[in-house]
Amino acid sequence: MTDGPPARVFCPVCSARFPPKEDVAEGKLVRCSVCGQLLVLRAGNGEWSGERYAQLTDDEIRDRVNGFAGLRDYHFSEMKEEILEGLLAKRDAFGDFYCPCRVEHNSDYQCPCKPTRGGDVERHGKCHCGLFLKGMKRNRSALAI
Amino acid sequence: MPDVVKIFALSTCPYCRRTKRFLSEKNVEYEAVDVDLLDDAEQERVLEEIEEMTGRHSFPVVVVGSEIVVGHDEEKLKKVLGL
Ligand SMILES: [Zn+2]
Repeated sequence: MTDGPPARVFCPVCSARFPPKEDVAEGKLVRCSVCGQLLVLRAGNGEWSGERYAQLTDDEIRDRVNGFAGLRDYHFSEMKEEILEGLLAKRDAFGDFYCPCRVEHNSDYQCPCKPTRGGDVERHGKCHCGLFLKGMKRNRSALAI
Repeated sequence: MPDVVKIFALSTCPYCRRTKRFLSEKNVEYEAVDVDLLDDAEQERVLEEIEEMTGRHSFPVVVVGSEIVVGHDEEKLKKVLGL
């Protein structure tokens, strides 16, 4: 796996194969450009994959949602801490960080959920549970001037 | 006799928690069903009921007689409860 840049890295959270921005190396930390998950790179059968950094810890989900908001330029609801509590409760009751406002428990609804990864915030101004809100930074700075 | 207040909720949903807290603060007695904690058959039945009432799977759903409030909405709750 040393010849040329690797095409893709597999993310176990969102199942995307994303092109890494930098050179890859065993054990290096990269962020999934689709869901925001922090990953430890592992060379596997002909492709690179990521291991979830700090898997299933409070730190993991907090870092993931912050990472995702950063990638998309979204901001957070004032309910953020309560929604994070709900995500932790989902982990405790159902095994992973599924959307706390949905009844489904499968990888499509791993936070950020598939509709959110697919642009729901752009379309509706917010995601299903209202954690992520469409960025208004430009408007704000315009008002400040 | 006043209508029985029923709330369909998810145990993990912060909006559902706010609605339950609001009803308690207003001393409204209610019957709560945490849909995510039901067994599969019962959950399916209740989800169908919710979909029939609201056309979707959004929580919380508060039912007061023939009135239905979807989502945490204190103004609507006050109105349908006559608070
Ligand atoms: Zn991902």
